[in-house]
Amino acid sequence: MRAATITAITSFLPDAVLSNQALADLYPNWSADKILEKTGVRERRICAPDQTGGDLAEAAAQRLFSAHAVAPDSIDFLMFCTQTPDYILPATACVLHARLGLRGDAGALDYGLGCSGYVYGLALAKGLIESGQATRVLLLTCDTYSKLIHPMDKSVRTLFGDAATATLLEAQASETPRIGPFVFGTDGTGAERLIVQAGGFRQPRTAQTGREIRDESGNVRTGDHLYMDGPSVLSFTLREVPKAVERLLALCNLPLEGFDAFVFHQANAFMLERLRRKLAIPEDKFVVRMADCGNTVSSSIPIALEPLMEGAKTQRIMVIGYGVGFSWAAASVTLH
Amino acid sequence: MSAFYEGLAEIFEVDVKEITPQFDLTSHNWDSLAIISTIALIDECYNKLVDGSVLAQCVFVSDVEALVRLAVAA
Repeated sequence: MRAATITAITSFLPDAVLSNQALADLYPNWSADKILEKTGVRERRICAPDQTGGDLAEAAAQRLFSAHAVAPDSIDFLMFCTQTPDYILPATACVLHARLGLRGDAGALDYGLGCSGYVYGLALAKGLIESGQATRVLLLTCDTYSKLIHPMDKSVRTLFGDAATATLLEAQASETPRIGPFVFGTDGTGAERLIVQAGGFRQPRTAQTGREIRDESGNVRTGDHLYMDGPSVLSFTLREVPKAVERLLALCNLPLEGFDAFVFHQANAFMLERLRRKLAIPEDKFVVRMADCGNTVSSSIPIALEPLMEGAKTQRIMVIGYGVGFSWAAASVTLH
Repeated sequence: MSAFYEGLAEIFEVDVKEITPQFDLTSHNWDSLAIISTIALIDECYNKLVDGSVLAQCVFVSDVEALVRLAVAA
């Protein structure tokens, strides 16, 4: 069969470092060690004020082209997963298409998902490739949540970092699918649990939305900033992720032991460890790669997958993204 | 209840002997992080998810235990 296959992944992190000590200096009663202990994050990268998600994504793509000798004009389709686009319109993917020098007959689109976005992107790329509409798909991810977070909201500023990734998916001959099956899920009743309320067309920014409020934990934000209801997001995660894993195992007709590695969305170390224990996944198969970049939203899964691309050993990996929306998706991915 | 009490002791960074039904959550940093940790602890100990906003209204450990009993009975 014509099988969509991941053949390369690269990541790009901006230069500026936001360390735990810098955060501890701002927040009373939160030492650098406590931040590491509670979040699993040692530092996170923050893009420059004049740097956008499109800039980071372009850098990730150029790094992939260079490292893997991929000609830009060999790309048939570009997809950019982001919730922090460069413009309201046009799609940032169109701008990137020009900056990367892709062919005129190559497709390009943005799609707006966060933590689940990479797995949705794999599904879309698989559809394009296995239906014969594209042979090489470039899937880019980037979210610059730092631009949405109030400096004095420690509930989210300690967690999130900026990053971009580029993934190359190609058609390869294979006896069995290399990507899939998939499990999808959506619960829009959770929309307001992880949201930037103002700035879109539902609620434009006003003086009112820009007023600072302090919550019971001392976090400061406005309606123009990111808000995350931590308890609700945790409850959603513990409720839906195990069910999605069970559904995927049933679709694969495999037990948990049939997978060589598990790459979950790298939300924070606390949540990851709770999921790992709840699902009884062995520590040596459970990938955690976030200490030096934080929660990078749609980039977190490919950043964690990137080291697994090294070597030639065939591996079956379970990937699962879950979060903002609420939205989730799980898939089986075979590398090499 | 001992695994639950041990978990609460870890969350509040106190000796487990201090965790009793009368333990006052609100005078021991009953913040978003503690609430999240307690949701996870209840899930781990009882395989039940409780509502974070209802949990946040609890004042004493006995209130949390009552919430757990309701969740288990549901």
